[in-house]
Amino acid sequence: MIKIENLSYTYGDGTQAIKNLNISFPSEHIFAIMGFSGSGKTTLLNCISRFIKPQQGKIFLDNQNIFEMDVKSFREAIGVVFQALNLFPHMTVLENMTLAPCRLRRINEKDAKNSAREMLERLGILELADHYPSQVSGGQAQRVAIGRGLMLKPRLMLLDEPTSALDARTTEDFSHWIRELQSDTNFIVVTHDLEFARTAASKGMFMSEGEIVESGNIDGVLRHIKRG
Amino acid sequence: MCFIMAMKRLKVPVLLMSMVCAITLSATSDEFVTALTGKFPPFNYYNEGGDLAGFDVDVSREIAKRLKKELRIVTTEWDGIIAGLLAGKYDAIVASMAITPERKQSVNFSEPYYRSGAQMFVHRDNPNHIYSIDECSGLRIAVVLGETYQQFLEKNYPDIEVVTLKSTVSIFEMMEQQRIAGFVTDRLVGLWQIKNAGRSFVPVGEMLYTESIGIPVRKDSNKLLKQINRSISDMKVDGTMDKIYQKYFGTVGVAEGESAVGGMTFSIIANKLLKGFAITLLIAFLAISLGFLFSIPTGLLLVYNSGFWALPSRIIRMFVDFIRGTPVLIQLLFVWLGLGLKAFPAAIITLGICAMCYMAEAVRAGLISVAPGQALAARALGLSSFDRFRFVIWPQAFRIALPSLMNNVVALIKDTALVSIISIPELIREAQSIISVTFEPHKYYLIAALMFFAVTFPLMKLSGRIERAIQAKGFKHD
Repeated sequence: MIKIENLSYTYGDGTQAIKNLNISFPSEHIFAIMGFSGSGKTTLLNCISRFIKPQQGKIFLDNQNIFEMDVKSFREAIGVVFQALNLFPHMTVLENMTLAPCRLRRINEKDAKNSAREMLERLGILELADHYPSQVSGGQAQRVAIGRGLMLKPRLMLLDEPTSALDARTTEDFSHWIRELQSDTNFIVVTHDLEFARTAASKGMFMSEGEIVESGNIDGVLRHIKRG
Repeated sequence: MCFIMAMKRLKVPVLLMSMVCAITLSATSDEFVTALTGKFPPFNYYNEGGDLAGFDVDVSREIAKRLKKELRIVTTEWDGIIAGLLAGKYDAIVASMAITPERKQSVNFSEPYYRSGAQMFVHRDNPNHIYSIDECSGLRIAVVLGETYQQFLEKNYPDIEVVTLKSTVSIFEMMEQQRIAGFVTDRLVGLWQIKNAGRSFVPVGEMLYTESIGIPVRKDSNKLLKQINRSISDMKVDGTMDKIYQKYFGTVGVAEGESAVGGMTFSIIANKLLKGFAITLLIAFLAISLGFLFSIPTGLLLVYNSGFWALPSRIIRMFVDFIRGTPVLIQLLFVWLGLGLKAFPAAIITLGICAMCYMAEAVRAGLISVAPGQALAARALGLSSFDRFRFVIWPQAFRIALPSLMNNVVALIKDTALVSIISIPELIREAQSIISVTFEPHKYYLIAALMFFAVTFPLMKLSGRIERAIQAKGFKHD
């Protein structure tokens, strides 16, 4: 569903973060973009989410060039969950989730709240509805952030380093949880945590210095890296 | 939160403001507008009924009658009284102003309407047998602390032992106890005070020096000056001036209703203080509401200073710095006298701009302490730039800015005390006018302070509470 052609991105200081990248991601429930710090994986995520514009190359979502889509339909098609989550601290969990549907889709507040509650139930955190973000744990906040993104029913959701703030135990729980999440949305997970990628994702790719080292089935990719 | 309410109810303040403006309508040709301080009994002061009275007031009234015009009296501070005349706030000053060469450079004076000067008084029994100031060598002669008579005596009569006392009341007590031989004060003021206090002191010898008291008008008011001069000479000829003089300084009888200094009733005092305080709060409310409203775009401009907004942002930054770096008092006088606005609009606009600048800094600080990820997350959700500001950035910035906004509100409420200088009858000014009659500054300044405190203290407490609540909810980011 995502196709990337000749993508290059160079920062203002001359660092080339992505070097002429070509790849096509299959429609996969969870696809992992792996790599260590400085490999260019976060830059790639920022390009796909249109926060930065590459100097060269194209990105297609279901054969549509994302840079030619209008902002609203693009944002409804691709959701992003940030490394820092960026939940809105002045709103309850429920309000965090209903803001975008109410403002973008003009859904009335009552309906939005109902579907948000359904979403929370599916995510197994309905009891958090009236909590503020500062009152929930790291693992719970992660689920809230994903739930907030899912409210717009995007075709694709990008997760940036979802496990960076979680301990080993919570990370394991989270990887099982997301693998078993019933959803029409596909996920691209950017992570440096290879163990997490192995548990959660079925396919993936490994990046280093702005280039793809290996891609395909997750086990194959990981085997290749260990050999390398 | 009170601001939001304030904004929603903006209709009410607008209405009030127009009422206030209506009250302070400018001088029409049918009016004779004069200025005085209201703090110089018996020449001009507030009587026990809370109304302006005194020699100057009666003279103004008689002149207005002869000019066939309606009299309107403006009370203002002595320090700015000539500036106000030059700015056209009133037509003339009938406030016992001595004619001096310095003052003549900026205004034209009428013929003197009375003369007074420094006079020595002794006890009627005259135990020291003094008949002139020249016979006072080695004697203790009293003056009121801070009056110019002290320097005059020390310079011209170095052999006299000058005793400075804090008020006429203490001088009178010392006189009765014969601990001083005599005292020097203004001849007419002294006569009046002696009469009112029922003392047996008498003036002796010539006045040490005399002053002629005239009515200043602007240099271009030649016609008015001629009319005033004619009125004064008519009043001298037909006995009106004598009648007024007798009323205040005559030896026979005490003018009814004019003697009871210190006799202001409680209800009049309370009424004056409450009215003054209402005006204080009204001005504070209007200025703060306006200031807060405009502080949001101003604060935004201070933060978003790139691209198209770079130049406006720099200009606003300089303006805010300038306002914050100059005394509010000067700004008030500039707007009132320099730009010639009416007192109420001048006060509200000046304090409003001040509020805007100080609050804009608080808003700016709030905006920059919202984590950058918040805007990004709102963008990722597809919110428009207005929605991002309204639902995500502003609510957080406002919560962070709130304690310092509240501090600004407290400071601004206190700053309204300054508008007494531009002759608005707010709390301080009313307190001063009460003090000029009751001579109890300790009491009424304390009451005025407590009235301010009754409003500012809950605000300060509230501000502390909000701050703790915000910290508890974890809105502060690193």
